[in-house]
Amino acid sequence: MQSLIKIEWLKIKKYPAFWWMLVIVALTYPGINYMFHHVYESVINRKDMAGNVAKFLLGNPFSFPDAWHSVAYFSSFFVIVPALLIIMLVSNEYTYKTNRQNIIDGWSRSQFIHAKMIDVFIISFIVTLSFTIVAAVFGFYYSDAVRVTRWAEELQYIPLFFLQTFAQLSWAFLLAYLIKRAFIALGIFVFYSLIIENIAKTYFKFKEWNAREFFPFEISNRLLPMPNFLGKIDAASNEAYKKTLVEINWHILYTLILTSAIWWLCYAINKKRDL
Amino acid sequence: MDTILSLINVSKNYGPIKALNNVSFDVPEGSVFGILGPNGSGKTTMLSIILDILKPNSGGFSWFGEYGGSPESRKQIGSLLETPNFYHYLSAVDNLNITQAISGRGTKKDIDEVLEIVNLTHRKRSKFSTYSLGMKQRLAIAAALLGTPKVLVLDEPANGLDPEGIAEIRKLIKQLADRGVTIIMASHLLDEVEKVCTHVAILKKGTLLTAGNVDEVLVNEDIIEIASSNMEALKTAFENYKGVTNLKLDGKTVHLFFPAGTADIEEVNRFCFQQGITLNHLTMKRKSLETKFFELTNN
Repeated sequence: MQSLIKIEWLKIKKYPAFWWMLVIVALTYPGINYMFHHVYESVINRKDMAGNVAKFLLGNPFSFPDAWHSVAYFSSFFVIVPALLIIMLVSNEYTYKTNRQNIIDGWSRSQFIHAKMIDVFIISFIVTLSFTIVAAVFGFYYSDAVRVTRWAEELQYIPLFFLQTFAQLSWAFLLAYLIKRAFIALGIFVFYSLIIENIAKTYFKFKEWNAREFFPFEISNRLLPMPNFLGKIDAASNEAYKKTLVEINWHILYTLILTSAIWWLCYAINKKRDL
Repeated sequence: MDTILSLINVSKNYGPIKALNNVSFDVPEGSVFGILGPNGSGKTTMLSIILDILKPNSGGFSWFGEYGGSPESRKQIGSLLETPNFYHYLSAVDNLNITQAISGRGTKKDIDEVLEIVNLTHRKRSKFSTYSLGMKQRLAIAAALLGTPKVLVLDEPANGLDPEGIAEIRKLIKQLADRGVTIIMASHLLDEVEKVCTHVAILKKGTLLTAGNVDEVLVNEDIIEIASSNMEALKTAFENYKGVTNLKLDGKTVHLFFPAGTADIEEVNRFCFQQGITLNHLTMKRKSLETKFFELTNN
């Protein structure tokens, strides 16, 4: 295990795209959160009555303890950035035929998949670390003296963010592993996760069909539901929000099952197929 | 001698195409085993199967007596399969660090050593993507040599190398063979194989035509080449000569074929003398690997 981590790290640390990903994550995570914070400020800074009401009702979603949830929610939009890296790491192995060489040199076929799972784990970990730093900075910066003492509440959003990232990057891995071509895999990943699934969900909603929560990405998207910015205004949405929070527990289970199934499939395929 | 590798009725299909058809042979320990065949005869497919890159449709193989091979057995085999496979964005040293970490063969010091052997020391920090074809091939050979494995599997090791490089590889293979390393080598450079191999297997369209000791495979016939001013008379005279299995008029000489080890050059000379034929040419020929190869693969 340790040796696999060491070998994968040898491959990753000198890969320029990895450092580009880190730079992009380091820019986009604070960027998107700052943008939404700006929207929030422009609402509460209105001098009229509505501004004061908003300030009273909204609180500050970027202060503790809400910062963990808000920043996780906004940052998770950018899963596409690490997904691109995962797809490139996999398709590189095909392009360079190193997926064969690793086996020739003495890995078993399942060790190759272990190693790729470690890649997804390492990248998810780094991305989660970036999110944690950004959330902590926002939280400490925007919390008043009272709120700052509540920093340790809602820390569960850190492992939830990790789980969501790992689950969605596992999809990216599966696509790249099956398709072998980086651009086609990336195209399908983006097209499906951003467009197809949303259209399908809307259609299901329109038809009033159930099971909307069981779409491949929706399963893990519901680990980080949209924060309840307007909860104090609307009692009905407040109820709905509380329900989504309870359902997170079920989605942890669903996500674990689905992600295990993805990796099991990769192991099974790699055992049998010609490389 | 122990058997290092056995193939047992290995078959592999790509759809309707039979890439390998029931191939069986053994590679003895310490041999330099050449695998020959025209393009598309199944050489690389065969090597891929024994390295667990491809799965055979039927049959199997064993390494060091262990059926099916295993990651542990592959770690003892230095291999170069088809093309040099390395991470393009890494240097030679970093790539060999990965080879070393996966296979457990060699040390950091050995990495420098093998790079020296293949003359890449001056470029060892350059990225693989900046290498020429020949340099890539040299690095692949270095990776195979790392930590002096017991067995080397080399698929067209001379690919992309200049004549000097080819000569170096030949020398290297001979040195390693002298140290008892078993070398399995696929090649279409026949005189290269002839110069270094102790054993050969010849494949054609996935079928094994022959396999065994070089001397046995190549010398299954003796050829005596003769010529005189009257070729027709010469040919007629030898038509019923005792022991001749075949007789060919080949340009300005007549080729007499005898079963291996039965040709007697003195006897032929005496016979001509008795018949009143004066020879202006008389030699014993060993069939070259090339002739044998074409003979086997063209039928």
